[in-house]
Amino acid sequence: MTTLDKAPLELRDRAAVRKASNTVRNWALPILIVLVFIIASVTVPQFFQFETIRAILLATSITGIIAVGMTAITLSGNLFSLGVTASAVFSGVVYIWVGQATGSMYVAALVAIIAAVVIGIAQGFIVGLGLNTVIVTLAAGSIIYGVTAILTKGEVVQAKGTSLEGFATFQIMGIPLPIYIFVLFTAVSWFLTEHTLIGRNIHLLGANENTARNSGISRMRTTIWAFVSFSLGIGIAAVLQASQMHQIQADNLPGLTMDVVAAVLVGGTAVAGGEGSPVKSAIGALFIATITQIMVLVGIPQGPRYFVLGVVVLALVIVLHLLRKAGTR
Amino acid sequence: MSSVSAWFKRYLLQFVLLIVVLSSMYAFNPQFHVESSIERIIPLGVMAAGLAVTMIAGEFDLSIASMAAFSGAVTVALSGLGLPVSVTIGILSGILLGMLQGWAIAKLGISSLVFTVGTLILIRGMTWLVCGGLSIRVDDITATDIFRGKILFLSPLSITALAILIGLGVFLSRTRWGRELYALGGARPEAIAAGVRYKRGMVVAFGISGGCSAVGGSLVSALGGSAAPGALEVMLVTALSAVLVGGISLAGGRGTMVNVFLGFSIIAILSAGLAGMGAKAFVSVLFIGLLLLVVVLLDYFLRFVSERDRRNRIRLAAAQAASHEAKVFVGV
Repeated sequence: MTTLDKAPLELRDRAAVRKASNTVRNWALPILIVLVFIIASVTVPQFFQFETIRAILLATSITGIIAVGMTAITLSGNLFSLGVTASAVFSGVVYIWVGQATGSMYVAALVAIIAAVVIGIAQGFIVGLGLNTVIVTLAAGSIIYGVTAILTKGEVVQAKGTSLEGFATFQIMGIPLPIYIFVLFTAVSWFLTEHTLIGRNIHLLGANENTARNSGISRMRTTIWAFVSFSLGIGIAAVLQASQMHQIQADNLPGLTMDVVAAVLVGGTAVAGGEGSPVKSAIGALFIATITQIMVLVGIPQGPRYFVLGVVVLALVIVLHLLRKAGTR
Repeated sequence: MSSVSAWFKRYLLQFVLLIVVLSSMYAFNPQFHVESSIERIIPLGVMAAGLAVTMIAGEFDLSIASMAAFSGAVTVALSGLGLPVSVTIGILSGILLGMLQGWAIAKLGISSLVFTVGTLILIRGMTWLVCGGLSIRVDDITATDIFRGKILFLSPLSITALAILIGLGVFLSRTRWGRELYALGGARPEAIAAGVRYKRGMVVAFGISGGCSAVGGSLVSALGGSAAPGALEVMLVTALSAVLVGGISLAGGRGTMVNVFLGFSIIAILSAGLAGMGAKAFVSVLFIGLLLLVVVLLDYFLRFVSERDRRNRIRLAAAQAASHEAKVFVGV
């Protein structure tokens, strides 16, 4: 009798814990960002200014666009890509070369994005066969880096004579175009992953591969779509980056891969797949950029900055993991 | 099948690759010297061995390059105490950090891929702090001379690497703790149910990978007499390529130190040979990438074909058994 009375209560308690931890997990990072903004605005003198906030958003946009694109790969249960830098630099080189040859930055951007997507589809095809994403993207990254370096002879590729910086310098109401593109890309990715068939397939493949395949979802097609999303992000970000720097070299952007992976993980997308959203990754990228910008403003040198960033990433990843564990118990 | 031929068959793909790479290096560059060219890349072999241990245990350590840079920085920063002492401290710090990492991963039950993305950044930050943001040098540059001697035909560096590889090989195949790592990598729930201590396994595996990266990093720094905050970053990719080309599976539970040795030899000969021909570093990165892709694709198709053959054999046997049964039935 007593056990019968107790059981539902315990179950109810557990359900409450699960619900609470899920709520915390979904809202922790946005709330944390707001808190950091408030604290920084009060304590750091130059923080709450239009220029600073614009700088944070601009710094977020490149990493953020790729992180948003890569979320589809992580969601589909394919971990993450370790070849971000190489693909991005290659697309950037294509952008500058085609821009110089044709004189039009629109044609150049289109060709650069198509190049990125073609490379992405090739990788997606191999991963779709059932090979591990980490290995494939690592190998592909090495190959792309090698090819880029050989094609450019390891030298700096510069846009001479033609102006290709339009995408980075164009402003609407004082806000540069990359920020709009970042927001738009996030919104479109969110819609596609949450409200379309292919997005649901990506979720399902990541949540339970066997069930998904038994229900007729093609691993090959779904994985390739995930890679298309990823490489679209790479292509767009590379065009923005190349037009911002006006030049690019094979050795550029060394930390980009890890920044993107950290943004996705800090955002709260589960590495096991099936759970997460592009919006979360965008917020993760925003959080990392905010913390970095605050440390720059306070005058912390690069070494300690990297250290603090590591502590923050590790702590957030652990907290998210513990919350997820509590939420599924 | 005799055990010798079984042994060769097991490493067949790697042996073929090794011979192809070696002979093509000699074909393109007759002055190619195996011994002298491998010497420079030996720390890579040690780091690959550590990474392989975590992969056998079904985990993944992305932090090895940061760990190596950190130990190298510690070694150089403390070189005032004498190089042997500072190398020891550097290696010990790597082992301890690795064990701590393994303990945390087991305690939290977190994916090591996720956790080590965090520690990759964190330990790199610690390296920056130790170096003070600049590349640092050993004050007494003659102190590094002890690494330049030769015992028989082997340098101290290659003896260290060989001893570590053989030691780890014996540990993995002949001791209880080593075999438990295979069990944890191959079938974790079953292993834990059978009494394998998961937490101990993780501490051991990550202690080894931390220690091996530290040995690699300390040796590089002690040999060159310097350390830099951004150093050795490329080691993660190269060590991982060596391990995977050697044929150790990411799925865990499979692979030996022979795999590591073969994979390391292939990568080392390839990059040393290309460097000997005057090719730039990025050319060897390109070739390593191609090799890695070829190996994983070959491995995939070989397994695909053998799986298909196996299924066909089973189907054939079933069909034969069925027709036999039918005959028996008619006969009755």
